[in-house]
Amino acid sequence: MYRWDFAPIWANSDLLLAGLGNTLVLTAVALAGGLPVGLALALARLSGSRLLAAPAGLVIEVFRTTPPLVQLFWFYFGLPIILKVEMTPYLAAALTFTIQSGAFFAEIFRAGIVSVDKGQSEAARAIGMSKAQTMRRIILPQAVKRMFPAMMERSIELMKTTTLVATVSYADLLYQANELAQKTFRPLEVFTAAALLYFLIITLVSMLGARVERRMAQSGEMAR
Amino acid sequence: MTYRWDFTPLLDNWQALAMGAVGTLRLFAVCLVLGLGFGLVVALARRSRWRVARWVSIGFIEFFRNTPVLVQILWFYFALPMLVPVEITPFTAAILGISLNSAAYSAEIYRAGIQSIEPGQWEAARAIGMSGLQTLRRIVLPQALRRVLPALTNRGIEIFKMTTLASVVAYIELLHQGRLIASLNFNPLEVYSVIGALFFLFLYPLVRATYALERRLARSD
Repeated sequence: MYRWDFAPIWANSDLLLAGLGNTLVLTAVALAGGLPVGLALALARLSGSRLLAAPAGLVIEVFRTTPPLVQLFWFYFGLPIILKVEMTPYLAAALTFTIQSGAFFAEIFRAGIVSVDKGQSEAARAIGMSKAQTMRRIILPQAVKRMFPAMMERSIELMKTTTLVATVSYADLLYQANELAQKTFRPLEVFTAAALLYFLIITLVSMLGARVERRMAQSGEMAR
Repeated sequence: MTYRWDFTPLLDNWQALAMGAVGTLRLFAVCLVLGLGFGLVVALARRSRWRVARWVSIGFIEFFRNTPVLVQILWFYFALPMLVPVEITPFTAAILGISLNSAAYSAEIYRAGIQSIEPGQWEAARAIGMSGLQTLRRIVLPQALRRVLPALTNRGIEIFKMTTLASVVAYIELLHQGRLIASLNFNPLEVYSVIGALFFLFLYPLVRATYALERRLARSD
């Protein structure tokens, strides 16, 4: 019978927490970059101009269809050869996950924008709003509300996908856990602790998301 | 000065890549069958009459959906051998991680499908004397599965993408082989571009087919 011993993990908990901090930083950066990238891609795809829609569509489909780990390796090992710059694990990870989550967000934005009744944009145009005004003042505020659950789900997927950066030695939670497992010879305790940490954070985030969702649904009913 | 792309080392190593492709397809096939199959069992356990079965099923789904699949694979590879006295190969660890993760996701898909069938159908089947199991097998599941087919196809595509994670525990699949070729020939740009393209060419037709299927089912409903 195996004897569990979490003492070495407690002793090194600062390492795991530093890793968790890096995981959260990377998720936040990719989210902050991915949302505007996604909106831009969605607007380009819906623009009606083939010159904009075709490249946006290509970026969206390629980043949604290829495995994220291949993308990360391409940005980390491949891109520096074209750009002739030094690539850090952080930069490669931030780039990969910004564009990748942008591609997923783009399709959520698109679905949300398309779901707003066409009569509304016609009405806005009829009272003299420009296309951009209509989008900003009429369509997007309504679309964002409908998109929230899908956005939340995608953001959680994003946080889980950031674990891949451990393979290019960005010191996220999984990377630190792997280091600690080798240092302490306690892989069972370390990986179990890491899994529980991820579970706690992700469960917490999705519970918060569900709460906001309920709030939004209520305020929507009152407005109507 | 622009970079000169050179694909010859990749062409010279086509056998290594082919070996990787076989590894990818093998892992995908096993995880697809186990993941989607076990997912149905979990979904049925979740609506079971026994409270314990429901709790275990909910716990399983929540845990495997709310932890990263790479953590699961590494747990099975490095941690599980401490508990059980068997050798865990990279193949086994990848199968366990990817299949159980996919089972948790597909269980929720099946559940949504089963719930979408009107209660009147259950009642009607019971009224003409079918048992609960018969109703499920002959009436509810055939319709539910049809409705969730696009979602299941999407899950299958996700499983295919997930197989690349097995390279982290040195299972021989496409990405693992690509890494090897890149480190021997110093050509990561060509290698990862080609591997990305291979995945895209294989999966994109499936993605399109799923869209078409979704539209067709939406029309016929």
